[in-house]
Amino acid sequence: MKHIEKRFDAIVVGAGPAGATAAYQLAKMGYKTLLLERGRTPGSKSMFGGRVYIRPLKDIYEDFEKKAPIHRWVKKERISLVYDESATTIEYTSNKTTSFTTYLTQLSHWMANQAVEQGAILLTEIRVDRLYKEGGRYRGVVVEDEVVKSDVVIDAEGINRLLLEREGIVEKLSPDHVALGVKEVIKLEPDTINNLFGLDNNEGLSWILMGDVTDGIPGGAFIYTNRDSVSLGIVVLLGEAARRIDRHIYILVEELRSHPLLYKYFKDGRIMEYSTHLIPEDPSRLMPKKLYYDGLMIVGDAAGLLLNQGYTYRGVDFAAYSGYIAAKAYEKAHGNGGASEENLKIYQKMLEESFVMKMLRKFSSVSRLMKKERLFSTYPQLINLLASKLMHIEYDSYKLKEAFDEARKGRVGLIHIIKDLWEVSRKL
Amino acid sequence: MTTETEVKKRKISRIEDILNNDVWDVDYEPHIIVDYSKCRKCEWKPCIRLCPAECYTMVGGEVLFSYEGCLECGTCRVICPEKAVKWEYPKSGRGIHYRFS
Repeated sequence: MKHIEKRFDAIVVGAGPAGATAAYQLAKMGYKTLLLERGRTPGSKSMFGGRVYIRPLKDIYEDFEKKAPIHRWVKKERISLVYDESATTIEYTSNKTTSFTTYLTQLSHWMANQAVEQGAILLTEIRVDRLYKEGGRYRGVVVEDEVVKSDVVIDAEGINRLLLEREGIVEKLSPDHVALGVKEVIKLEPDTINNLFGLDNNEGLSWILMGDVTDGIPGGAFIYTNRDSVSLGIVVLLGEAARRIDRHIYILVEELRSHPLLYKYFKDGRIMEYSTHLIPEDPSRLMPKKLYYDGLMIVGDAAGLLLNQGYTYRGVDFAAYSGYIAAKAYEKAHGNGGASEENLKIYQKMLEESFVMKMLRKFSSVSRLMKKERLFSTYPQLINLLASKLMHIEYDSYKLKEAFDEARKGRVGLIHIIKDLWEVSRKL
Repeated sequence: MTTETEVKKRKISRIEDILNNDVWDVDYEPHIIVDYSKCRKCEWKPCIRLCPAECYTMVGGEVLFSYEGCLECGTCRVICPEKAVKWEYPKSGRGIHYRFS
């Protein structure tokens, strides 16, 4: 094995939001940082739904909102319960916004460029084959029989944790702990998007759909407007999907695109890209027992640090913030004499005290709630039946109570509804 | 509201045509190896429906895998009930190259 003797302070594996941000912060603090990415460019393996919450990113990157590749600011939020060819929708509109739409391919690329501007060395087309250990301590990485050494390694390899599995740090993923996202990006002119969705330039829409969009499999669908395209896709719990799906998964996305309620939005567009990714779904099960080892810290999806709030995901801001904290933790460890396990403990401590772990703990029962079938089939049906009774007036009109009783008749008992409402209001 | 005729006209695209919009730098060696002898024992075969890129198809009653259109999501690796999938990332720089995701 060849050993490359130039030694880095830190090697970061993976130039997604977590890794690129870790490298940016490390380089900014003056550490010799090597950022390794297996794709041809940073971002070329990145994929997500479409929306980023901005607040934590503003702590990390200066003038983030002015410089980052932001497509549109989300000012319209829609949540629809779909049944058959009808939908009942809540829409919230405000000029205040805390999130934007983009392509993660672009955002990862931008973040990696920020790292380079701060002095990090970015090498693309480098697939790390394994972590390098010296005397029981992580001290670099192995790439095609070459060892590249560093004081610390930051593992930002993403949800498919080949490196960590090889080290015995995590077990193989279980289908019940991840979700599968599949998306199409549809090209549309900005004016067309503005007209179709009632938006101004730079204004964006986030639209979550639940119910008859995933063949009853727990999950949902999403639509996000980008500058000159619209992202649409589905998310399903992988274990449930494996047990219940009876046709090819791409058909669910295509049926969404051609759904009677949605077809008008997409009929003039063409598909620019089709992409897919696994999503951490159950952080309590996915998270390694600890996120620090001698010479190693684990960040982002690899650490399971993604928040599912039921009606929205927070992935990018959580990933980036964990990378940021890992860099800060390294600074402290360095000051205390090096990246020993004892000194890197501070990473876990800082993460625990940050919003990242606080929110993950707070929403820890959402993943169990998301397995409740009634939420994805019975209630969307009930609400749409209720609405149809109240809205489709011919001769006789319904009183609310009458419409409600008829809508739920034979479908779900009152006791169940009350119990479920209570559960949802507590867990969400 | 969409008219009835438009709805009837609406088309679901074929997966091949959808995937045609993506860009790969295909490696000459597969990054995923499937042990077909294990597939023969498997009645469930969730890979056929759940691989988003339809890399797994049924040909003459047998599973056939092709790696060229793989989107590297890892689904097959996670769901295979027989552990028949030996899964690596493609070699440096190869594989899917997302541009708008």
